[in-house]
Amino acid sequence: MSWRPVKAVVGREMSKLFRQKARLISAMVRPMIWLLVIGSGVGSMLQTQQQEGYLTFLVPGILAMTLLFAALLSALTLVYDKEFGVMRMMMIAPIAHYWIVLSKLIAATLTAMVQAILLLLLLVLLGLISIKIAVSLLPAAVLTAICCASIGGLIAVYSKSIDNFAVIMNFFIFPLFFLSGALYPVSQLPEFLRYVVLANPFSYGVDLLKHAVPNVSTDFSLLTDIVVLVVFSMIAIVIACWQFSRESVHEPLFHRSTKR
Amino acid sequence: MPNNLAIKTKGLTKQYGQAFAVNQLDLEIESGQFYGLLGPNGAGKTTTIHMLTTMTAATLGDAWIAGQRISDDPVAIRNTVGLVFQDSALDRTMSIDENLQFAAALYNLSPQQANARIDELLTVFGLQDKRKQKLLALSGGQRRAVDIARGVLHKPKVLFLDEPTIGLDLPNRRSIWRFVEKLRRDEGMTIFLTTHYLEEAAACDHVDFIQQGILQTGGTPTELVKQLAETILEIDTNKPENITAQLAPLFGQPIREEQQLSFKITASDVDFSELQKTLGNSVSSMQWRRPNLNDVYLWRFCAPDPTGKEL
Repeated sequence: MSWRPVKAVVGREMSKLFRQKARLISAMVRPMIWLLVIGSGVGSMLQTQQQEGYLTFLVPGILAMTLLFAALLSALTLVYDKEFGVMRMMMIAPIAHYWIVLSKLIAATLTAMVQAILLLLLLVLLGLISIKIAVSLLPAAVLTAICCASIGGLIAVYSKSIDNFAVIMNFFIFPLFFLSGALYPVSQLPEFLRYVVLANPFSYGVDLLKHAVPNVSTDFSLLTDIVVLVVFSMIAIVIACWQFSRESVHEPLFHRSTKR
Repeated sequence: MPNNLAIKTKGLTKQYGQAFAVNQLDLEIESGQFYGLLGPNGAGKTTTIHMLTTMTAATLGDAWIAGQRISDDPVAIRNTVGLVFQDSALDRTMSIDENLQFAAALYNLSPQQANARIDELLTVFGLQDKRKQKLLALSGGQRRAVDIARGVLHKPKVLFLDEPTIGLDLPNRRSIWRFVEKLRRDEGMTIFLTTHYLEEAAACDHVDFIQQGILQTGGTPTELVKQLAETILEIDTNKPENITAQLAPLFGQPIREEQQLSFKITASDVDFSELQKTLGNSVSSMQWRRPNLNDVYLWRFCAPDPTGKEL
């Protein structure tokens, strides 16, 4: 197995990322709106000495949100490419089909990291965090990005078409985000919701990012976060690869052409 | 199996639930042949191609490409075959060059090899000036050409063309065929073709027919045409029943399409001008001609009931 095909798949996603400037800018605007609107809106309900604390508390949360959106949407290009026929170019190539999934997930992780780095730069420029914090957030961001990419890969291999994109937004992205401790400490949630948060792998990414910011309370230990993220990602990737390879040979991926 | 076989299948079957898309297919195609598989929509042509190129797994049976069993190492098989899909597999948002570079990298060609090969192919297809253009800026025929170039970047031993000229106008179809012919001559590929445009299959070394997943052995196009009939007689009339009653005892039942009747005539000594006089004004037009592959196809798949009942 040579790396050239993997590099080609990843390279294609990267050149698309930088070509679509609007997508990149909107990916920066979304977290800023959250930070400023939610940060000051919710913050206004808090006492003055807590306000600044809440803004700092939100930084790992919105960074995690950026990683989640970027990695998930990028992994969903597995479905886009299927829909627009480009997937067949990869399927007929002499590489094992699971490499297509792995390459796409590498691309999704890189896409998420590019956006995370841009966001961190922005936050540093706005004086919301120090360079030191920004740098210490990076390793945690990598693990979180891999976790989000694996969630995206899992959703992508089980989606039949991009028609259910709204479904994916409503049933995956928003619940994953809201039920993760990104906006509020998990310990303060009602018991039932706390269990949901515990079952959400993304929560551990958020928590890991919180570990990198001083004076922000965390819900789990550093080790717990890392172990959960690594184990979950590995299992999700294996299932995604297995399902993609299995489906591609047993069900026609080419509904349109076989039915014509 | 003998090594000069490019494709061999034994009992190859694909089943979807209760339905057989392809049923017990046995094929032997020699290396270097131009082979055509013809049949109506949904007959199993595309499924056959997808099984032979590892895009879908067979339910039963075995197949070999250039002596390698396809189930043994699908990745190696994909290196040996090229496949041009029925509809484009290219990325419309990228340029010709980006598409082909991407495909070449998937075939593990180095950038130098890829560049040389892309140059070579675009020259064959007359697209060397358009290399940096977006795919959207090309005509349908040019896009198709890029699709074919993509399918042969890695110099496959066996090239599968699944209705390669569908939706193209005549000049474009002809130029596509010139390219394919040139590739075949220069690179000695075996070509497996499915098409609806039967005049295109006339260039094949051998054609077979497939209907409802079952293979019907054919032959060379010239043989098949010769076996079908001496002459095809086509009559336009507003009294098709009368004409049928009159001529069926002589020539057999015709294929009837509304007011048009088409008889196949095996005798070589029919006096058509005499026949025209006999039929008189009950026909509005009448022509007789040599059969072609279209007629072979029609008489295979739309043959009339010998008792004369309408289909």
